[in-house]
Amino acid sequence: MPIQFTLAARYLWGRKLRTFLTTLAIVFGVLVIFSMNILLPTMLQAFQSSILTASGQVDLTITHKSGETFSTRVLDQVENVSGIRAASGTLERPVNIPTNFFRQGNVGAVSLIGLEPKAAQALRDYSVQAGRFLRSGDTNAAVITAGLADAVGLKLGDELPVPTAQGVVRFKIVGIRPAQALPGNEPVYVPLAQAQKVLSLPNRINTIQANYNTNDAAPRAVIEQTIQNILGSEYQLGGLGSSSELFASIGLAQQGSNLFGFLALFMGGFVIFNTFRTIVAERRRDIGMLRAVGASRRTIVALFLAEGLLQGILGTAIGIGMGYLAGVGITSLMSGMFEQFLHVQMGAPVVEPSLLIITTLLGIGVTLFSGLLPAWNASRVTPLEALRPSVADVEARKPWSKANIAGAGLIVIAILGLLSNNIAFVALGGFAFLIGLVLIAPVLVKPLANIFSAVLGVIFARQGTASLAQGNLTRQPSRAAITASATMIGLAIIVAVVGVMVSITGGIYSVLEKSLGSDYLLIPPSLGVWSSDVGADAALADRLRSVYGVGVVSTLRFASTTVNDEQVNLLGVDPVAFPQVSGLNFTEGDPHDAFAQLAQGRNLIVNGMTATQLKVKLGDTVKLSSPEGEQTYRIVGIGSDFINTKIMTAYTSQQNLKRDFHKTEDVLIQLNLAPGADAVQVEARLQEILAKYPQFKLISGKAYLQESQQLFDAAFSIYYVMLVVLALPSLIAMLNTLAIGVLERTREIGMLRAIGATRRQVRRTILTEALLLAATGTAFGLLGGLYLGYVMVLGMSASGIMPVAYSFPLAGILAAIAIGLLFGVIAALLPARQAAQMNIIRALRYE
Amino acid sequence: MSLVQTQELTKVYGAGDTAVTALDHVNVHVNPGEFVAVMGPSGCGKSTLLHLVGGLDRPTSGRVWIEDTSLGDLNDDKLTELRRRKIGFVFQFFNLIPVLDATENAALPLTLDGTSPGDAKKKARAWLTRVGLGNRLTSRPDQLSGGQQQRVAIARALAAEPALVLADEPTGNLDTHSGDEIAGLLRQVSDEWQRAVVMVTHDPRIAAYADRIVFLKDGRVVDDTKLKQDGSDNTQMVTGKMHALAE
Ligand SMILES: Nc1ncnc2c1ncn2[C@@H]1O[C@H](COP(=O)(O)OP(=O)(O)O)[C@@H](O)[C@H]1O
Ligand SMILES: [Mg+2]
Repeated sequence: MPIQFTLAARYLWGRKLRTFLTTLAIVFGVLVIFSMNILLPTMLQAFQSSILTASGQVDLTITHKSGETFSTRVLDQVENVSGIRAASGTLERPVNIPTNFFRQGNVGAVSLIGLEPKAAQALRDYSVQAGRFLRSGDTNAAVITAGLADAVGLKLGDELPVPTAQGVVRFKIVGIRPAQALPGNEPVYVPLAQAQKVLSLPNRINTIQANYNTNDAAPRAVIEQTIQNILGSEYQLGGLGSSSELFASIGLAQQGSNLFGFLALFMGGFVIFNTFRTIVAERRRDIGMLRAVGASRRTIVALFLAEGLLQGILGTAIGIGMGYLAGVGITSLMSGMFEQFLHVQMGAPVVEPSLLIITTLLGIGVTLFSGLLPAWNASRVTPLEALRPSVADVEARKPWSKANIAGAGLIVIAILGLLSNNIAFVALGGFAFLIGLVLIAPVLVKPLANIFSAVLGVIFARQGTASLAQGNLTRQPSRAAITASATMIGLAIIVAVVGVMVSITGGIYSVLEKSLGSDYLLIPPSLGVWSSDVGADAALADRLRSVYGVGVVSTLRFASTTVNDEQVNLLGVDPVAFPQVSGLNFTEGDPHDAFAQLAQGRNLIVNGMTATQLKVKLGDTVKLSSPEGEQTYRIVGIGSDFINTKIMTAYTSQQNLKRDFHKTEDVLIQLNLAPGADAVQVEARLQEILAKYPQFKLISGKAYLQESQQLFDAAFSIYYVMLVVLALPSLIAMLNTLAIGVLERTREIGMLRAIGATRRQVRRTILTEALLLAATGTAFGLLGGLYLGYVMVLGMSASGIMPVAYSFPLAGILAAIAIGLLFGVIAALLPARQAAQMNIIRALRYE
Repeated sequence: MSLVQTQELTKVYGAGDTAVTALDHVNVHVNPGEFVAVMGPSGCGKSTLLHLVGGLDRPTSGRVWIEDTSLGDLNDDKLTELRRRKIGFVFQFFNLIPVLDATENAALPLTLDGTSPGDAKKKARAWLTRVGLGNRLTSRPDQLSGGQQQRVAIARALAAEPALVLADEPTGNLDTHSGDEIAGLLRQVSDEWQRAVVMVTHDPRIAAYADRIVFLKDGRVVDDTKLKQDGSDNTQMVTGKMHALAE
């Protein structure tokens, strides 16, 4: 075995506690990356499979741009394209169900889906939990979901009545499918011919689904292009339309997890880097001696890299094992939550071979990479250092080294970046800031230690240990800085993430209140998926207005349009009433002016998502496709509401909607009580009116707000779980560095004991020192975390993921201070005990 | 030809007001197999001289020749190789690697030079036996006394069969008895194994083991005296000389 490996192995083995602690840091870095990466795909898979199941798990979905029906001949055209393995046409329509229509239970609406059983089953699996699926030759047969069956108390073999243009039609229930994963109307599957008949749409379909005979990207693109050419631009290919909101959520989750993974990696690397720096500092004499007796610089570098490699391999292996267990554990914990809130079953975690390879490379690679600079520093240790008697290793350093100055420079750059308001600069500034803090830390240790020790001196008066501990720190500022910066990074991450979460929740709640802050809402079955909702004509709103005690009534109308081939939901509002009962969160433009302009001509307010996707800004004009041809609209404001945040949406006046899109249906109604109105009476009257409009559900704004907030809290708890997963290792890293700091001074502690320090005094000194370090690290961590959090929030707004304002995470800061100090003490307890119990002779000989 | 020759060797630490001239145009030589002691008051430049001769540090001006190589012409790698093959070091603080046992410590210069571990250990064991540690081959440094640790260091210095052994106060951390043993061992290194030894000490009793004593004062050579190693005790004479030069 080469001497480097022998030495590396001996050093590792000879310092078991140290090796254990540093390997632990690697273990945790790898653990976070590995568990996150098996956890998130599993979560995303659950999301995706639910979407795919809902959307039909097919390669291609074809719809008409208008959302209307088209001839079955289009299906023939598609089937004839070479490369199409199977295709099926369906006719899907929401059917409103009057109240008390069924013998028991109420459902607002069902989605009637007519399909050719053979063709449909060639495309995807329609599993049933009881009975059978439709077959060719069926006429008045239906397959429904367990959800619907339970809701209305029907079972296999019963007859399902459906209200149609031809009166009530009865279908025999031949099969029951498992409950559906997504919220929305329950599907009722019937033979296509039957659906066409009852909906009075002979030979019409509105969706074609198809699968390709290849999985390669290039030929798939060719097939898609061929079809688009044949059908023309009137048809829309591949759009999952109504699921876009969920896809946006997945995108957000993915970005969030990438951020976490990246932070974990950064942290792991930093811990390893710190450990190596400590080891090099501690072993200067050994290194010098090796150099003196003939070890080349390369040998020294190799020695440290060999140590890194051994620890990297060990830590990665253990980390992967534990990461897998953590992934499995968290999955099983979270699957309950998923089932409850999303009706999604989570599968077992899947470990891709590529993940194993990548994690292994990352774990070992990051260890080696982080060891590189310290190893290089070690190779610069001169042989002379072995020969100098080690009387006192007081650091003789210039007040400001190059690194300190570079650190100060980076911080200035970071602040300039922050002021520039340019997201790229701000993000760069985030890293500059953290690295700058690490570099400048040694200079700041002294003044900070002085301040904190003055505080501690008051607490531990008479002991004299505070000043001794303070002396220890200021004597070796760079070593103290190493320990403090481990704390810093850990806490910075916590503060940053809490800052982001507080901002997002705060942002969402404020938008929620704005959007849904009216006293009463009449909501359709599916909020946000407007195209499937059946509304009411203006008569309903008028009747509501006439109710005594009702103040302002505002309605929302919907039309689907496209801008540059991108689908946009167009919502029609009453420019006067809408801002009174509801509103938008404006990021650009003046709300008052914007609404006023909606009333005057073809003007639009677009939401943040639309502005980002279409790359448009205030004052730009866009061309909307409408039944009347293309129409030019001008953007007079950028603002979002809660429900449509993640969908490309534009708001215009109801006049425009009527003129260009012929839409006059109200799909959502919001109303406020008049001042002094009797809520109970008004509500009773509203319920009476609504009996004839079963598609609407009357809810009080406050109740809805609460309901929504609960849903969000549940969703955010996932992120808090991640935060804990991430925070734990960073705290252990801090514990680790503090413990190593004590180990390192074993000999010095022995000396203290030899010259008459009592055990109690030694213990006090170490505890005080740890507290000083923790306080310093916490101070840095808060600074870094606030900055990072701000950067992330800014990034989210700028990239159009979600427009939020930064909220100062006071709770996060208090928690970080508590955690920082608490861990400082915990981290010191064990070493302090050990130091106090130390055998003086052995301690003095500790090399 | 001399094994070691210095030529106007000068070392200045620091610059400006705080500059310290540790060595001031020093010319000394060491013959093959010769045992030279370097003496002088604390801070006179003894260690500095040893460091420069051993290629551990670079002079401000002047040259060091080892055989026909001028150290100033070597880059760090070449210099390291020369240390490994031509020079053995013994330090005041033993400086053994705590995690290696006696044999492994003694074998270090060989293993670092690429000798197979088996051969390196065989040679190391032979040297440890010669310096009287045949029974402590597998002990770790913390299981050995100071004198024993210094013997391991000497075995390590000799393992690569160097022509020159440099020792900086090798007895400085030892009791009188152990000190005498180590000095005797260095004498043996010169007599029996024909290596040149340059030993820094301020103890006249230890210096008395040498063939020649070079006295330094304020960075200059102030005296160069040959001793007769005929079994008589030179301590008295060395002490006298020391006091005379201290005036
Ligand atoms: N690295 C150094 N930096 C500055 N001055 C030094 C350094 N090493 C030695 N000196 C100074 O050089 C002079 C000679 O030192 P040294 O050779 O160690 O003396 P000796 O070994 O004879 O006691 C002393 O004045 C010492 O303070
Ligand atoms: Mg000296």
